[in-house]
Amino acid sequence: MTADDRPIGRVTRCSTRGFVGAVRLPEPQWPVFGTFCRAEAQQGQSQVIGLIYDLSIEDDELARQLAASEAIRPEQLADSQVNRQVPVEYRALAVGYWNGAGFTQSLPPQPPLTLAPVHRLSDEQVRTFTERLDFLPLMLSVPEIPVDDLMAAAIKSAAAVRPESERRGYLVRAAAEIARLLGRDLTRLESLLRAVRP
Amino acid sequence: MSLNLPQLITQLENMGSALAEQQAALRRLLPAARKAFEHAAGMTPEALDAQVQRAGDRYRGARPASEPLLEAFSAPPLEGGLVVAGADGSQVYPDRHAAALYFVVQVGGLAMEIGSGLAPQTRTRPHIFYLPEDLHDQDGHPIGNAMVNGRRDAEEMSALADWAEAYAGRPFVALLDNGLLLWFALQVREQNRKDVDRILQAYLGHLDRLKAGGGCVAGFIDRPRSADVLALAHLATLPPEKVNDQALRANPYRALTDRALFSELLEPGQRSACFIDSSPLNRDFDAKGHEVRFFYLMTDARRTIARVEVPAWVAEDEIRLGRVHAAILDQCPATGGFPYVLVRAHELAVVTQQDRDQLEGMIQRRLLESNLAGQVSQKATTKRWTRSRRRHRL
Repeated sequence: MTADDRPIGRVTRCSTRGFVGAVRLPEPQWPVFGTFCRAEAQQGQSQVIGLIYDLSIEDDELARQLAASEAIRPEQLADSQVNRQVPVEYRALAVGYWNGAGFTQSLPPQPPLTLAPVHRLSDEQVRTFTERLDFLPLMLSVPEIPVDDLMAAAIKSAAAVRPESERRGYLVRAAAEIARLLGRDLTRLESLLRAVRP
Repeated sequence: MSLNLPQLITQLENMGSALAEQQAALRRLLPAARKAFEHAAGMTPEALDAQVQRAGDRYRGARPASEPLLEAFSAPPLEGGLVVAGADGSQVYPDRHAAALYFVVQVGGLAMEIGSGLAPQTRTRPHIFYLPEDLHDQDGHPIGNAMVNGRRDAEEMSALADWAEAYAGRPFVALLDNGLLLWFALQVREQNRKDVDRILQAYLGHLDRLKAGGGCVAGFIDRPRSADVLALAHLATLPPEKVNDQALRANPYRALTDRALFSELLEPGQRSACFIDSSPLNRDFDAKGHEVRFFYLMTDARRTIARVEVPAWVAEDEIRLGRVHAAILDQCPATGGFPYVLVRAHELAVVTQQDRDQLEGMIQRRLLESNLAGQVSQKATTKRWTRSRRRHRL
């Protein structure tokens, strides 16, 4: 698996269930909720596939001081927005791994290495990884994260990287899988289906 | 074991009351100090200068320059097209317990074109020193932290001179987060004359470049502790026949600071008269045309007093001095009385503990690739074992 773009940070904490990445980037380059990403594990033998579900901006006292100031110069504002790299932290839920031969949709054998670079998955990699939908039940078993919103975001981004002609079919297939998983919780199912509706 | 705070509680209570008493005593002293300064200001320049001459080389106080001592000066309007740059430096000192012997200096800086609305240009320059000649002094002894500080200060001035040359022909003010005199030179000159002189000459060369580029430079000292002007005030009150070392040492205002004095004499935005620093090191600066002068400046409505050091070629040029004054005032409001460009220069320069750990790891890997045993000492290893406190979950 080769790097498809610049890293979106490095792993700072991790477990088999997922990892936390941190990066200092200007705002346009921040990852978004539901982004598929990967981080190296097992000394390069595997890549943990993650789904970003929580972005937070670390405390920045200078930004707070400037926000409270009434006398900020336009050049200082531009400096903060263009030059100052905002410290962003994000959490990624492990939804599978790549072992050199292909993707597996289950928890990885080992978490990523600390300070391993985190990359976005390319469109092609997202397409291949999401061909199977076994990552959905894996997500449902995780407590204390916004599972439904994350599932909807993941399905929509997986559909978005497919050709126009395949998108509707993919969404219908994903909806059927969700219906199978949540058949006993109709309220939740209805809300999720509404969220992924084309 | 972390700091045993419960055992410090009684000592902290005593500390609080002792400091309150000290403050009250200093407040009682201030009117007399102010009167002494007014006496100095009332003397003719010739008489005051004669008194300074009588005090001789051992006098460590301010010398008057050409401006009336009691006058407070307001800033001129900010010029169009002004560029304000700032630089600051950070370092990793040599550590014999590290994987290899080296030190790092990193200088960060930015240049802001006032009125352009554009984001400033920023620059960060790290430099790792590892050659034997970098790590040992003229006698072959390992260099100390003061020498590293000297190289960092010279790199900061070099960065500012580079900006000045890049903006030659435009009104330009360079700010340094420190005084202009190279204090490290005073600390270690006796032991390392050759090495110190080399750094000093490089530093003065960068000041030459700044001057030649038509720019201005100023060292900004926040919360200054100096009492040079109060030493002058004390000297002025001595009878001429009693000016001697003993009388100079018996300065009743030595516990006060010039900051306390000028917080009573200045209003927000105003600067004091310029004075001359009487440090022996200033003779080297004077010999190269960069004698250091200083004034006090009230930077904001919270009555923050800063000491600003400028070379004589800025202090004696009304336009350049006004440019420095106006530029500093313009930089202060957004950041609470401390110049914005210096806040950001520090942010660009700072080397964090995390950076140090990462650098150390990279060096160890590079040494291993070169078949060298790059390991930290056992002492450093054991310190790392106990660095993070153990936390027990209940």
